[in-house]
Formats: sequence, C-alpha cells, structure tokens
Amino acid sequence: MNKFRLLLALVTAKILFFTIRFLGKGKGSSLPGSIALKIYPHLIRDLKSRIKLGVIMVTGTNGKTTTNNMIARVLEGSGQKVLINREGANLITGIASAFAREMDIMGRRSPDYACLEVDEAAFPGVSAQVQPRYVVITNFFRDQLDRYGELDRTVSLVLNSLKEMEGARLILNADDPLVAQFGRGTGLQSIFYGVGEHEGVSHRGSAAREAKFCPFCGRELAYRYYQYSQLGSYRCPECSFSRPEPDVEGTTPRADGAVTSCQVRFRQGSMMPLSIPVYGIYNLYNALAAYSAALLLDVDPRRIADLLQGYRPATGRMERFNCNGKPVFLNLVKNPTGFNEALGVLVRIAGRQTDVLIAINDNDADGKDISWLWDVDFEMLSDCQENFRQFVCSGQRAEEMALRLKYAGITESRLTVVGDFKEAVKRVLGGQTDKSYVLATYTALWPVERILSGYAERDQTQTDRLPHVS
Amino acid sequence: MLRGIRPKLTVCHMYPDLLNLYGDRGNIIAFTRRCQWRDIHVEVQQVNIGEKVSFEQMDFVFLGGGSDREQNLMAADLMEKSGYLREAIEGNLVVLAICGGYQLLGKYYRTITGEVIPGLNILDLYTEGGQTRLIGNVAVEVDLGGVRQKVTGFENHSGRTYLGNLEPLGSVLAGQGNNGEDKKEGARYRNVLCTYLHGPFLPKNPFVTDYLISCSLKRRYRDILLEPLDDSIENSANQVMLNRLIGS
Ligand SMILES: [Zn+2]
Repeated sequence: MNKFRLLLALVTAKILFFTIRFLGKGKGSSLPGSIALKIYPHLIRDLKSRIKLGVIMVTGTNGKTTTNNMIARVLEGSGQKVLINREGANLITGIASAFAREMDIMGRRSPDYACLEVDEAAFPGVSAQVQPRYVVITNFFRDQLDRYGELDRTVSLVLNSLKEMEGARLILNADDPLVAQFGRGTGLQSIFYGVGEHEGVSHRGSAAREAKFCPFCGRELAYRYYQYSQLGSYRCPECSFSRPEPDVEGTTPRADGAVTSCQVRFRQGSMMPLSIPVYGIYNLYNALAAYSAALLLDVDPRRIADLLQGYRPATGRMERFNCNGKPVFLNLVKNPTGFNEALGVLVRIAGRQTDVLIAINDNDADGKDISWLWDVDFEMLSDCQENFRQFVCSGQRAEEMALRLKYAGITESRLTVVGDFKEAVKRVLGGQTDKSYVLATYTALWPVERILSGYAERDQTQTDRLPHVS
Repeated sequence: MLRGIRPKLTVCHMYPDLLNLYGDRGNIIAFTRRCQWRDIHVEVQQVNIGEKVSFEQMDFVFLGGGSDREQNLMAADLMEKSGYLREAIEGNLVVLAICGGYQLLGKYYRTITGEVIPGLNILDLYTEGGQTRLIGNVAVEVDLGGVRQKVTGFENHSGRTYLGNLEPLGSVLAGQGNNGEDKKEGARYRNVLCTYLHGPFLPKNPFVTDYLISCSLKRRYRDILLEPLDDSIENSANQVMLNRLIGS
C-alpha cells in the first residue's frame, strides 16, 4: 500500500466532487473516480480493506439498481452504515468514485457494508479488486449488443471470474437457467430465490426469449411454464440440470394497483407476507433477491419485510409523478425484456384514455444499435389501442420508434413525432386524459425527468394514496 | 390486382427460434404488413432445426444471423437442405439473407486461426474472419429494378466478405460494408439479396421490401404493379440517419 498516493488520490477526488457540485455540472458520478484511479490504481483494493463486514455485489442485466437499493435500504434500516454506488455509475470508475466519496481521508469512519451494483462486463475487473463476500445475480438478457458482442460471452466472463473467488457466497435467481447454472458452474455455496407458479404464467415462450439450451450439455430445455422471457420452471431432458428448489420463494404473487405482494415461503416451510410499493413481477424478483441477501446477512425476516415495504423506487423505475391530479409514470427502458415488462404494466393500468411518450436515444450508454426495438412486443398495444389517445415519439431516434409502432399496427392518427423533449413532455401532460406514461432510454431519461419535475410533483406518498386499477 | 383471385404469398422464416438476435423479425413484419396493406394474403411458415421445408413452395425466404453457436447449428441443418435451396434459387426463389445467413450462402468462412468452414456454395463469395468487428450505422446506395435509392441500417460483423463474379447490393456511402475495403455492400444473385445491414432492414427501406414483394408475385403469378403506399414515416426514419451519416 502506498499511503501517500492513496491520500493524494482521495483528496483530489474529494476536491473534484466539491468543484463539480459547486459548478452544478451534473452529479459527478464517475469523473472523480477515474482521476483517482489514475493517481493510485490500487485505490479500490486498499480502501476495500476498511469495510468492516464485507462487500455485496449485484450484477445481471435488469434490476441491478433496484435490487442494490433494496439491499442497502434493509441494511441501513437495521442500523448498519452502508457505502453504495450511485445508480448507473456501475463501471470501475463509478465504484472508485463511490469509495472516494464515502471514505474519510483518515480512515476513521468506516462503513459496515458496501453495496455495489456492477455492470456485467465490468464485473471481472471490479470483483478481482473488491473480493466480494456476497454476489447477487439477477438475470441475463441481451443488452446493448454492440458493446458486448454476445450474451454467451458476457455470461462466461462473469462465470470465469467467480470460479476464482474462494469463499464468496452467491444469491441466484433460480428461475433463470443462465443464472442458476452458476451454482454448479462455480462450485460456490449458493442460495436461490424464485417466484412460484401462479395464474399469470405462460405456457408459450416469448419471441425475445434467450438461452433455449442447457448450459451443461446443450440439449434444448423443457419448460413447465414461463414467468417471462427465459425465466420459469425448466428442466434438461438429458442431464440433471433443472430449476433449483428456491430457498426463498414468492408464492401467490398479486398485483394490487401499484403494490405487488406475495407470500414468501422459506425452504423450511415457514411463510411470511411481503408487500412492495412497486409494479410488476420483475420487481418482485428484485425484492426476493434483496430478501435473500438480507437473510444471509442475519437480518430478521419480519424486519426485512417491513423495510422493503417502505422502499421508494429510484429515478425512472416506474416512478410516479402527479401533474394537477393526473398520475404520470416514468420508466427506464433498455432492452427487449425490460421493455416488454413495462408494456405489460402499461396495458394493465391503461385507463380509458392514456397518453404515452416514448423517448429513444442512441448514444453509447443507450446502445448505438436500436434494432432491439423490433424484438419488443409492441403488437400487444395494438389490441387495446382505443385506450390510448396518442403515442408521442421523441429523442434522437423518434422517427424509428414511430415506424416500429406503425408496423405493430398502431393507427397513424395516434402517432406523433416530437423531437424536442420539452415539447414532447408538454404534449403528453396537456391532454384531457386519465394518465400519462413515459418510457425513455438511459440518456433520454435524465432530461425527460428534469422537464417532468418542472411540471409535475414527485409522488411521495404513493403507498397510501394509490387508487385501485379498474 | 389479379382479376378474380386474391394473390397469396408464403413467407418462410428460417430458424426463428435460433436466430432471434438484432430484431431480424422486423423484416418479416415489414414484408407481411406491406402485403396485407395491399390486400395480398400472407402466410408465415416458421422452419426450425430438424424441420422439413419445401423451398419450391415458398415465395419469400428470410435467413438471418446469430451468435457463433447458433450459427453452427443453423449451418449444419441447412447443409442437409442445400441441394433443394440451390435448385429453388436457380428457379428465382426470392431470398433475403443477412449477416450469418449471407456468409453461409458463400463458398467458405476462413476463421482468424485459419480454419476453413465450408459454406453452402450457392453464391460466388467467401468470407475471412477479422481481428476487429465492423460496427456502426451504414448508408448504401442501391439500384433495384431501375430505382436508385439510399438505404440505411446497422452492421456488426467480424467477417470480411469478398465477392467473386457477383454484383454487390449497393455501394457504401458511409460505414464499412462487406469488408471495409472495396466500398461494396451485400450481394445480389437472381432474386437473392444479401446484406450485412441487420435488424429492421426492410421496415426502414420500403422500396427494397416492395421490390422483394414484386419479385415474389412475378415468380408465382405475373408482373403486377404494386399500389403505392404512404411511406412518410419510413422515409423520415431513413432520412434521419442519412442526414447524420452523409448530410443529405
Ligand atoms: Zn443438460
């Protein structure tokens, strides 16, 4: 350890945080970290040793931010001091920023835990430095292909780096064969979470489904049912690979307005009711992942359920706003599976008249290739399009979004292209409609959110004022 | 269009279970919709690994690309059908082959380590593996059925394809195309169109779609003039990318 360099890196990063905030230039989430790493490349490794009880890493394609925030909330709620990286800042520079921001220079106030959401491609580099005690893997879907090349490669990157990590414990999604394989594949001690069979499961695979083949022998997997995409109850007809029996299983899931609830069944047979103030079965998965992690960290099961009930969604994760009494929902979209989930919710909660804004950018962080929009099942909107007053398409690729909707069967009179975000937001807020719904890719989310906050209030009391969806 | 009968076309989507990458299904959607909007009946047949297909009965065959493993599975399956496919292509079957499907129709693919993977040997072209991937938006000038137009799309391939005695689909205005060297993009042979522009190639370039529909109708029925459609959304989606890439 080079104490002088470490000190210099920390001081520089802290000055940068201060300057960036002072100048009002964004959130400064990765620049200070990247400069600090240049000054002292072992920054993360050295600071990591100050964390008292261990590092929890969350990786996977969808749900990283939500799961990580949920875990941090439960730990903080049980009196622990937690270091967490800001959402989206999930590459090595973002992690370095989080360490530099949260650690004091003299190393006196140390966190008990670090909760780090880490990008799948950055996972090997980050995990080698932080040596996590716990790793949560949510799911694997195709995401920003032009950056990673292929899903298979991403999965094996994470798998290979975990094989070298002795003593780590895994928290795995039992329903995703690409994730569940990590138990056998790494030989590490693992616990599994999943969602049980319910009325909403499907018996047909969707178009955007990944991973049809057994990761161990290559035979096509047989499914008893699907939750969504490749998540479900699967079994390999050739070898013994199948959905592991979950240690923590959400049974009889129910959506009641914006509250999703279930009975959590533990392997020993006991049950515990769980309600979370967020939409959709995919958020239930995130909550169950956080539940499992917290159980491993010895938090009382009832306490976990109470703390999760008070969870507030992060920006753009089905966040709710209020514009003169009209509810407005904001949701980040970044890949076919996540987009399908969001559309599923939209179809379910659409009232008689709903305005929809879809903002598509194609910067690096969004993925430069927007071909994946054609893997999203927009066709599900066309069957109930009389519930929608208009679809306003915005962002750098607004025209292409309108094109996708046209070919999904949406009538052209319902389609408008408004490139400018401000105009587009005004358009969907202005109408005499019941609800507005805003979907945006990563770099479109922030400007849209800023504009939206100018016209509408963020709904802080969503749990107790939620209307029932008719 | 045709007196007394409503034309019907059969679309053959090859390996949709396997090659569901990059939004390739957009091409099937575009072909189907543009037929339906003109009251041409369309039936889509999905053909997966191990299933039989009679290419002679098909009007339009779509062959996409996938990851390496999926590509190998598709190659093995298609190798068994290659004789029938070749015959149908010689009989003017309309085919759109993209990325891996394009490479597979050629003579061989030589990997970076020198391994030679034989292709179906239907088209006079071959592919060499490259160190880097050619990735990004592309603009190509295409001349189809006497119409000259600029098409756009996205490419993502490590193979470099070289044409023998074969016409390219078009000439590269921006991007890399077949190999990043000779400014050629894609290939044409009879009613076969090949391209590296994956994903929604047909939706964004409606004149290519209409060309393929016309060729399919001509082969099954006779020369039929297609009713023009309102393509303003299609054209503006294309124009956004043209403005960005070549400023016009
Ligand atoms: Zn197997």
